[in-house]
Amino acid sequence: MFRISTSLAVLLALCSSTVSASEIKATKVSADLSKPAVDESVWKNAKEETISLMAQPMALPRPKTTTTQSVRVQAVHDGQWIAFRLKWHADAKAEAGKIGQFSDAVAMQFPVKEGPPPPVFMGAKDSPVHIFHWRAQYQKDHEKGKPGMRDLYPNMNPDMYPMEFSDAGHVEGLTEEKREVYSPGKVSGNPQSYEKSSAVDEIVAEGFGSSSVIQNRMAVGFGNWKNGEWSVVISRPLKRENGSTLEPGKNGYVAFAVWQGAKQEVGSRKSVTMSWVPLQVNAQ
Amino acid sequence: MAKVKNWHLNREMEYPYEENRPKRQWAIVFDLNKCIACQTCSVACKTTWTSGKGQEYMFWNNVETKPYGSYPLAWDVRVLEKLGHQQWERHEPYHGKTIFEAAEPNERVAHFHPTDEDWMYPNNGEDDCAGNVPAGDHISLPHDKWFFYLPRTCAHCTYPACLASCPRKAIYKREEDGIVLIDQSRCKGYGECVRACPYKKSMYNPYTRVSEKCVGCYPAVEQGYQPMCVQNCIGKIRIMGFINPPWKAREDNPVDYLVHKKGLALPYYPQLGLEPNIYYIPPVHANREYLEQMFGPHVDESINRYKKLREDPIAQGLLVLMGSTDRIIHTFKVNNGVASGYDEKGDEIVSVPVTEPIMERAPYDQKYGTVRNNTP
Repeated sequence: MFRISTSLAVLLALCSSTVSASEIKATKVSADLSKPAVDESVWKNAKEETISLMAQPMALPRPKTTTTQSVRVQAVHDGQWIAFRLKWHADAKAEAGKIGQFSDAVAMQFPVKEGPPPPVFMGAKDSPVHIFHWRAQYQKDHEKGKPGMRDLYPNMNPDMYPMEFSDAGHVEGLTEEKREVYSPGKVSGNPQSYEKSSAVDEIVAEGFGSSSVIQNRMAVGFGNWKNGEWSVVISRPLKRENGSTLEPGKNGYVAFAVWQGAKQEVGSRKSVTMSWVPLQVNAQ
Repeated sequence: MAKVKNWHLNREMEYPYEENRPKRQWAIVFDLNKCIACQTCSVACKTTWTSGKGQEYMFWNNVETKPYGSYPLAWDVRVLEKLGHQQWERHEPYHGKTIFEAAEPNERVAHFHPTDEDWMYPNNGEDDCAGNVPAGDHISLPHDKWFFYLPRTCAHCTYPACLASCPRKAIYKREEDGIVLIDQSRCKGYGECVRACPYKKSMYNPYTRVSEKCVGCYPAVEQGYQPMCVQNCIGKIRIMGFINPPWKAREDNPVDYLVHKKGLALPYYPQLGLEPNIYYIPPVHANREYLEQMFGPHVDESINRYKKLREDPIAQGLLVLMGSTDRIIHTFKVNNGVASGYDEKGDEIVSVPVTEPIMERAPYDQKYGTVRNNTP
């Protein structure tokens, strides 16, 4: 049930299209930002903004408390690519894997169309948003390969899987595809079921529940967890056809979401910005 | 939230989506007086559907012993605990809360979240009797010690908690047969359905990283065949068919007859509010209070009718049709000691004699000089 007081509803309605007081400025640097690991020096003169987050308030199920109070953001661009460094507090590193485990994640959301931005809670019908979603789980895929069952449960002892016989040698006509029929997620082409080749997914959405992963992803990212803090860099091309387009000298908007995997956060259980944050991409 | 009609509870209740009953509703009736927990149903389902990677722990069909067994661990006790003590007066609608109504403001349903270890003990409590059996004890009537087996599949509920909880609407209920499915291409593995389903029949696959559940054997059902768990049941305790709500019940429909006309089969944990579509003929010797908590206030009537089955040739005939064919029986008839099942078109699928010839043999075999064991 979605019980919400009238005054809070009014406040949220106002918030959803308004713009926050903080502002992110992306300074120009001469560096190649299209690689996932970006040199430390690139961030030297990038001003850090602290963006407040709140427990996602709109769609059920929603978190009871705000698990991530804020995310600190820096941004730089090289004329072709723009990179964001995002830092937030996480007591423990969570990379999902076993049943019931979830992944730390952060996402940045940009409006696709020009003009006043759509509702900040994942856009609306005909007002799409372009989301760059980094997950510790995807980064682990990328670095160590997608975990197999033995990686997750080393003491497990299944006797056999269909069409996999340890003494079969070469079985006529038996392909990997044929075996994977027994993995319905894979057979349906679900991106979740494949090894992620980048730590960052690109997603397009028109309102909550509608998100779809884009096939021709270009964004890259890299995250590092140390002493209770994640530091994640997400790099994306400034211009994405049919996606979000940013231009040096022009203002845009960005919104953020953070998930604490160790606190069972995933999907709509997240901390989000309540309003769009202005993003200024400096011309030089 | 919409107001929908739940005939198990005999009242309206809240649900996130409008009432939209399917054209036909997949349903299974189980006779718990006959289940021997041979687990053939579990193996049939597993070999058909859950032999792949990530599915090793999954039992879309499982059989657990009651009262001490459960898969995953303590699933029913924990959801009842979460719901809190609720009252249901015998001849009244259910005025307590459903899991939708008992949900916290930030959740869709009242639920608990199983850990992965909870799934790893499917045989927990198997064959454990309620009550200690001292040496030299013997069975008496009524039974003072009891246990029974509870085979369960997904119930393809009319008001599924899994469907209600998915923020991506990746779960849908088919209009043609009411089977509830997780769209494998749209699921992102959030596991909200795993948390929400009170019967814990939605399961996360850690290899494909999305969630899965019993598919009602829809490829078989589409061709007029009963699900694998039903077809392979050794004890012939199951029958799958298409149930109608009580206001459309047909006397010649086997599931309608057992549930509506004869009141022999009851839904399980109806108080949770999902209108589950698997129905159970309660085990006549188990503890009544326990059975009422599980099957609702009509347990006594159900058991009394079952005990008087000999007086009802139609019901008796229907029970022998269970396990007699691998095809779905749409209508049935009992005439002159023969029960017949018919398909959708009205063509006969099977006919079975209602009573088998009975032979009596003396306890002591004079010819071989030995006692014949009375082992049923």
